[in-house]
Amino acid sequence: MSGLPLDGIRVLDLTQVYAGPTCTRMLADLGADVIKVEGLTRMDITRNFVMPENDSSDDYWNKAGYFLFRNGGKRSLTLDFSEEKGDVSAEIVKRLVAESDIVAESFRPHVMDKFGLDYESLTKIKPDIIMISLSGYGQNGPWRDFSGYGMGLEPAAGLSSLTGYKDGPDGQGAPLRTGISFTDPYSGIVGAGAVLSALLYRRRTGKGQYIDLSEQEAAVPVVGYALMDYAMNERQPRRIGNRSHWYAPQGCYRCAGEDNWLVITVTDDDAWRALCEATGHPQWASDKRFADVESRREHHDALDELITGWTREQDQYAAMHSLQKAGVTAAAVLNPKQVLLDPHLRERGFFDRVETGQGPRPVPHQIGAKFSAFEMPSARRAPKLGEHNREVLQGLLGMSDDEVKDLEERKVIGDTPATAVPLPVMRMFVQWPLHSYGQMGALGGIEKDYRAQLGIEPPASE
Amino acid sequence: MRPCSLTDSALGGLRVIDLSQGIAGPYCARLLADLGAEVIKVEPPEGDFTRRLGPFPGDVPDPEKSGLFIHLNGNKQSVTVDLDSDEGRAVLRKLIASADVLIESETPGRMAELGLGFGDVSGECPKLVYCSVTPFGQTGPYAKFTGNSLTCMALSGLMYVTGDPDKEPLITGGEPADYFGGLHAWVCVLAALEHRGETGAGQHIDVSCLEALGAADEYNTTMYAWLGAIRRRFYSRHHIPTYPSEIFPCRDGHIVVIGGATGFPLMMAILLEQPELEEHPLFQNLWMRTIKWEEFEKILRPYLLEHDWLDLLTRAQEMSVPFAAVMSPQTLMESDHLAERRFFGEIDQPGVGKLPAVGNLFRMSETPLSFGPAPALGADSAAAVEGSK
Repeated sequence: MSGLPLDGIRVLDLTQVYAGPTCTRMLADLGADVIKVEGLTRMDITRNFVMPENDSSDDYWNKAGYFLFRNGGKRSLTLDFSEEKGDVSAEIVKRLVAESDIVAESFRPHVMDKFGLDYESLTKIKPDIIMISLSGYGQNGPWRDFSGYGMGLEPAAGLSSLTGYKDGPDGQGAPLRTGISFTDPYSGIVGAGAVLSALLYRRRTGKGQYIDLSEQEAAVPVVGYALMDYAMNERQPRRIGNRSHWYAPQGCYRCAGEDNWLVITVTDDDAWRALCEATGHPQWASDKRFADVESRREHHDALDELITGWTREQDQYAAMHSLQKAGVTAAAVLNPKQVLLDPHLRERGFFDRVETGQGPRPVPHQIGAKFSAFEMPSARRAPKLGEHNREVLQGLLGMSDDEVKDLEERKVIGDTPATAVPLPVMRMFVQWPLHSYGQMGALGGIEKDYRAQLGIEPPASE
Repeated sequence: MRPCSLTDSALGGLRVIDLSQGIAGPYCARLLADLGAEVIKVEPPEGDFTRRLGPFPGDVPDPEKSGLFIHLNGNKQSVTVDLDSDEGRAVLRKLIASADVLIESETPGRMAELGLGFGDVSGECPKLVYCSVTPFGQTGPYAKFTGNSLTCMALSGLMYVTGDPDKEPLITGGEPADYFGGLHAWVCVLAALEHRGETGAGQHIDVSCLEALGAADEYNTTMYAWLGAIRRRFYSRHHIPTYPSEIFPCRDGHIVVIGGATGFPLMMAILLEQPELEEHPLFQNLWMRTIKWEEFEKILRPYLLEHDWLDLLTRAQEMSVPFAAVMSPQTLMESDHLAERRFFGEIDQPGVGKLPAVGNLFRMSETPLSFGPAPALGADSAAAVEGSK
């Protein structure tokens, strides 16, 4: 095992929320020293989302689940850009640029210009700097000033036009969105690759460059199939639920128990015969209605009924194993708790246990891969707000004690957020009314003994 | 061979052997090609299976005209090799020996059976970055399971939280796990090249599409690990306390209505041309609106059904309220915004004609991405066999 690929590379991270932090988290996992900059009046809003035990007392902003995952292994520096503090903070950013290889930002276009932090100005400080801007719709074009929230960008990238049930009032179901903010992690990964490409170019030529990434555009290639169909045949996409354009049958089938499901794809005639054998219905294989993929597609509804007749008696895990053993592509639809307990992901070591301030919690890896030549750092917690102020300002920029104290007194730096609404109100707001969410039907359950189920020891005081 | 300059592309001078099939590996290799690497796609004699999947012009199957294949394999060369023959494996070995990167997507164990596993070639090619991209990774109980985006959606937990509460879990359109896996593979290959730049050494990378997608499911596993709450699918409302952030029908299609940080109560009331709504409790109180969402929709829906998406989108965005469009392939390709940004490239695909290259993924000021048509099956075989002698 050797060092990490980005050892010695420093990233000045001015991004917030999701896409940008995903990009820089990947760089951190690959060895970069990532300095995350937040304002006391504008801390990363994900510090407000998901408190362990729903407890928003004390320094709750240092314990939030969504923040912790996306910012593991980074250093935190607070710098405030509000009102008269903007100039001081911009000067400090410029001094940090001189010590950095990469600058990442996710403001709306032209915010960086306002503070004299546009790419051209940065090259005067550090000629080979690599700068990436991640924004909703990119740095130019008629939509560049649009406010781009993650939940709007998946539909804007075209994905929702393909996502939906096949039956509905318009002959197909409404367009739907994935149960996550799809384009955020997706475009964050694209950003990490763009930065690495620029680093390889800099290694060869000594030149830095500027990268303009639009989160809308980054995800458009996922619908490449449908774009080609439109370009070739002027065909509008149809939402077809869980069925396939290529294979039949394919679907999501109810299993024994409540809300348990199994997905199956029959990829060819051999797999079809294997499914008939494995489910104990060899007679289906000789049914002419199901002889080849075209006829199976034609009789898909009838097939779905037959398959459901079998799956609804089956345990979802057992059915996955028996079909896979027979050579049929199948998988259990896991809920978030089952994902955390899944034997395959456990054996692969996909979840680390990370300290949260309220005991350790399982957190997935950010990079879904293993390298043979080095091991990525694991189980690193996210920094507390302003945790590395002194380390960065004194250690890296050589500021004196007095200078740092002065910045603290002027509230340019600090370790407590200056929230727009009073802190007691924020404490109430960031506690989620879980019971109400459960009543709405947005939760499948709230389990009090979840720590025991996950094998996490509760804190000794309890 | 395509001329490639060392200075005007990010990855000029690199050679990649793309032995993968399907979506994930080929997409990874296409990104490397668009960035300037020379990519030689090695296909079985019958071709990558996506050549048989379409869409095809006029729905007439033709391995040289598959839209999916063209999308994923632009800018590459094609060499056919029969891995079941000694000659074929010898040609592949020579190609690998000449390369910086190998991308493969065989069932775990199969490359070693062919004598082409990482351990078999790393002695001869110590600088090789050898990247395996598979649905579930090289190890673990599901390693040899067959998989696709649907199985990865299911096992990652993403499918359970996608769809309507009273219906079955739903896959996201467009084979998402394959693209997530392809992106992770691309990032990992670039990282390994950077590592090689420091150490001179290649390595093996084991990419799991399931884990690539699973990493994106963090907020659902987090809700259980932090709170014991099991999130369930609930329309398009993935993030509960931001309601509305939902797709609604409007007069000429659909619109994503998002209030954002500043939309309620005033700006949404103005947008709906009913200023009195500013005083409405469901506009004033986020929690009440979230929980009594059906009541809120009774106010919202009738107005939307009388207005067009572009009008709603433009007026909302003028007030910094982050509404979004529900784009289709047609509206994406006709978008003024994407046209001004030159997102779509254009390729001239032999036998098919002009097609969009999807797309100009990001803009690099010094090393713009390039596009090219996909290769005919085996178009570069003769040169490869000649070169391997």
